[in-house]
Amino acid sequence: MLIQAIITGLLLGGIYAVYSAGFSLIFGVMGVVNIAHGDLVMLGAFTSYWLFTLGHIDPFLSIPFSALTLFIVGYGIQRLIINRVVEAPPIMSYICTFGIHLIIANLALRLWTADYRSITTSYCGSHLECAGLVIPYARLATFGMAVVMVGGLYLFLNRTDIGRAIRATAQDREMARLMGVRANHVYAMTFGIGAAITGVAGSLISSYFVIYPQMGLSYTVTAFCVVVLGGMGYIPGALLGGLILGVLESLTATYWNAGMSSALTFFILFLMLIFMPAGITGKGIVE
Amino acid sequence: MGPEQNIILEGRGVSRYFGALAALSGIDFSLYEGEILGLIGPNGSGKTTLFNVIVGVCRPSEGKVFFEGRDISGMSPHRICQMGIAKTSQIVQPFTRMTVAENVLVGAMYGGGLPQKEAWEKTREILAFVNLDKVMNTPSGKISIPERRRLELARALATSAKVILLDENMAGLNPNEIEEALDLLRAIRERGVTLMVVEHIMRAVMGISDRMIVFNYGEKIAEGTPREVAENPSVIRAYLGDKYA
Amino acid sequence: MIQTPPGRAFTLPRKAVLLAAAVFVTLILVPAFCHQGYALRLMGMIFMGIALASCWNIMSGYTGYIDFGPAAYFGIGAYATALLMVRGGVPFFLSIVLGGVVAVAFAVPVGLPTLRLRGAYFAIATFAFAEATRQAVLEWDRVLGVNFFQGSHGITLPIGPTHQFFYYTFLVIMTVLFVITYLVERSRMGYALKAIHEAEDAAELIGVNTLKIKIYAYAISAFFTAVIGGVDAYWLTYITPNDVFSVHITIKMVIMCLLGGMGTLLGPVVGASFLTLISEPLWARFPYDYLIIIGVIIVLVIVAMPKGIVGTLLEWKVDSRGT
Repeated sequence: MLIQAIITGLLLGGIYAVYSAGFSLIFGVMGVVNIAHGDLVMLGAFTSYWLFTLGHIDPFLSIPFSALTLFIVGYGIQRLIINRVVEAPPIMSYICTFGIHLIIANLALRLWTADYRSITTSYCGSHLECAGLVIPYARLATFGMAVVMVGGLYLFLNRTDIGRAIRATAQDREMARLMGVRANHVYAMTFGIGAAITGVAGSLISSYFVIYPQMGLSYTVTAFCVVVLGGMGYIPGALLGGLILGVLESLTATYWNAGMSSALTFFILFLMLIFMPAGITGKGIVE
Repeated sequence: MGPEQNIILEGRGVSRYFGALAALSGIDFSLYEGEILGLIGPNGSGKTTLFNVIVGVCRPSEGKVFFEGRDISGMSPHRICQMGIAKTSQIVQPFTRMTVAENVLVGAMYGGGLPQKEAWEKTREILAFVNLDKVMNTPSGKISIPERRRLELARALATSAKVILLDENMAGLNPNEIEEALDLLRAIRERGVTLMVVEHIMRAVMGISDRMIVFNYGEKIAEGTPREVAENPSVIRAYLGDKYA
Repeated sequence: MIQTPPGRAFTLPRKAVLLAAAVFVTLILVPAFCHQGYALRLMGMIFMGIALASCWNIMSGYTGYIDFGPAAYFGIGAYATALLMVRGGVPFFLSIVLGGVVAVAFAVPVGLPTLRLRGAYFAIATFAFAEATRQAVLEWDRVLGVNFFQGSHGITLPIGPTHQFFYYTFLVIMTVLFVITYLVERSRMGYALKAIHEAEDAAELIGVNTLKIKIYAYAISAFFTAVIGGVDAYWLTYITPNDVFSVHITIKMVIMCLLGGMGTLLGPVVGASFLTLISEPLWARFPYDYLIIIGVIIVLVIVAMPKGIVGTLLEWKVDSRGT
C-alpha cells in the first residue's frame, strides 16, 4: 500500500509540475502571481474535452491544439492587460489576475454550465499490473509527457534565442532593453509560453480527471505550493516540488484523510515560506 | 583640535563571510570620540560590509563590536540606532511620498525617541542646519540629488546619533557641491558628532579625515593619518598595482 | 497627500469635523424615518464593507504588505462568536469582543514569522494560513472524532434581532475604525507605517522597530476583522467554514480598499460604498453575468485608475495646485 501510494503520488506530481512550471516562469520573469493560472488549466482541459466530444480526437492528440489556443490566450492577456500594470506595485498585478480569473471562470460557467465532465477513452480502464501494483497506462503516459514538457521548457529557456531573451529580461529589464530586447513582446511571449504549457497540463488532466468551469482556483493554489517547495522562478524546482507535493498528498489521503491532505498542504506551504523561502533547492528568487 | 583619546566605537576581530567569500576578515578598529575617521579601499574591499555589521544590518560571523563599552554585535538596526549610531546609505532611500520634513520627523521620533511635538521642533532645527528648510514641505521624491544627500544626513542627525557612518555621501556631486558637503561635515563634527566616512573621492576624504583606515580584500592593510597612509607602500600597491610600489 | 503644517499635527480642519459629525448624526437618525427593511439592510452592508475595508487598509493600505488572509480572522471571529453564544450562552457583545481577542491570539504568533517575509511571499503565506484554517475547521471534527465545529454542517446561531440592530452595530464599528484610522494616520505609528511602505530598511536604520509596528497594525486589523465576522455570523444566523473563511471575503476587502484608494482615510469609505452599491443592482439584474461584470470592472479600474478613486482625485488636486 505504501509503494502504491508513492507511485500514485509521483504520477499525480508530474501533472502538478507541468502547470506549476508555467506559473513559476511567469512569476520568475515578471514577478506576477497569476491567480488566473488554474483557469488556464481549465481552458486547456475544456479544449481537449470538446475536441474529444465533438471531433473524437484523443486527448493526447489534442495537446498541440490546447497549447496553441492557450498560447494565444496568454499572449493576449499579457499584451492587452498585464503589460499595463507590470511596472506598478505588485498588488496591482495580483488583483488584475484575480479579475481575469473571475472573467474566465464565470464565462466558462455561462458557456458550459457547472456540470462535472469527464472523457471516457477506450483505454481508460486498462492498466499495468506488476508485483501487485496498479498503474493505469493513461497516467503513466501523462507522467512521461509531464517530465518531457518541464525538461523541454528548461532547455527552451537555456538553448534558444527567445529563451535567452526571456531570461535576460527577467534579470534586468532595463539592460535587456538597451541590448535591443523588446520587453513588452518578451513578456507577452513569456506569458504565452507559460499559458501554453499550462494548457498542455489541462489536456493531460482531462484524460483522467473530472473537469468543470470552477476548478481553476484550487489548481492555482496547488501551483503556489509546488512553486514555493521547489523555489519560485526556478523551473526544474517545479518538477521536484510537484513530485514531493504529489507524494505527500497521496500519502495523507491513503493513511489519514483526503480533507486533511489539503490542510497539510497549506501548513507545509506556510512553514516553507517562513523557514526556506528559496525552496528545497535553495534556488528560488527571494526578495 | 586633535582627536580626544576616548574610544566611542570599537571592533575586535570582526569577520563576515558570505558563503566561502570573506567580505571582512579579522578587522580591529577604534573610533575616538569627536574625530573623523576615513575608510578607503578599492570596490568590494569590505568598507560597506563593515558599516552594515556595525549598524546591525548583518551579524558579524566572528568578532564583536562595542559602542561606549557595550557589546552591540547581533542587535537589530533600530536598537543600535536608538543607542546612538546612524548610517546614511550609498543609495539614498527617502520615503518618497512623505515630505522632506516628515522624513526627518520619523528619525527624530523613533531614533531620537522624542514625542511628536518635540520631534517637530528638532526637525525644523535640523532642516535649517542642513539648509533644507526651504523644501521642507516638498515630497522628498521631488528634490535634487544634493538635497537628497543632505536629507540622508538630516535623518541621521535627527536620531540624535553620537556616531554617524557616511557611506559615499558625496557620490554624484560636482566639485562645488563637494566643497559644501565637506563644510557641512565639519559643522556636524562641531556639534559633537563622531563621523566615520567611506568615500571614493580621495581628495575629499584625505582633506577631512583625522585618521584613515585602508581596506583591501576584506583586510585592514594600513592605518594612520592621511599623510602616513598616502605614503604607505602597500596602499600604493593596492591602488596602483605592484610596479608603482 | 494632505500636508500637515509642522507642530499642528493634532488639529483637524473645523469644517471636516462638522461635516463628519453631521454625517454621523444623520446616519443615527435614518432608521427613525426609514422603516424599509431593504434600505436598512443595504446600509448595514455598506457599513460592514467600509469597516472591513478599513481593517485591511490599516494593515496593508499603509504598509504595502499585501495581506491575502484576513478571511482567517473573519472566520475565527464568526466561529468564536457562534460557539460562545451557542455553547456558552455568552451575551452577543461580549462574544464578539472575545472573538476579537482570539483573533489577536492567532495574529501575533502568525504575524511574527510572516511579517518578516516580503512581497509575494507574504501574500502567499497569509493566503496559505487562511486556507489552512478553513480546512482545519472543516475537518477538525471528522479527524479527531469530536463534535465541536460541526464541519461542513455549520453552526446555527440564535435568531438575531432586526436589521435595525445590525445597522447600528455596524455603524458604531465603522465609526470606531474611521476614528482609529484617522488617529493612526496622524500618530507616530502612522508615520512609521508610511515609512515602512516607502523604504523599510531605511526606516529600520533610523530607529523604527519595523517588525513591532507591523505586528501592531496586523493585530489591530485582525481584532476588528474578527469582531465584524462575529457580528456578521449573528446576522447570517447560519455559518459554515466555506462561507466565513471564504477567499471571496479577502478579495472583497482588497478590492474595496483598492477601488477607493489604499493608504488613504477615505479610500475604504468610497470603495466599499461604490462596490456595494453597484453590486446590488448588478446582482439583481444580471445574476448570471454578475461576476463577469465585476471581473471586468476590476481589470478596468486597475488599468485605468491604479491609485483608486480617492488617490486619483488627490493627485488631480495636487497637480492643479502645482508643486
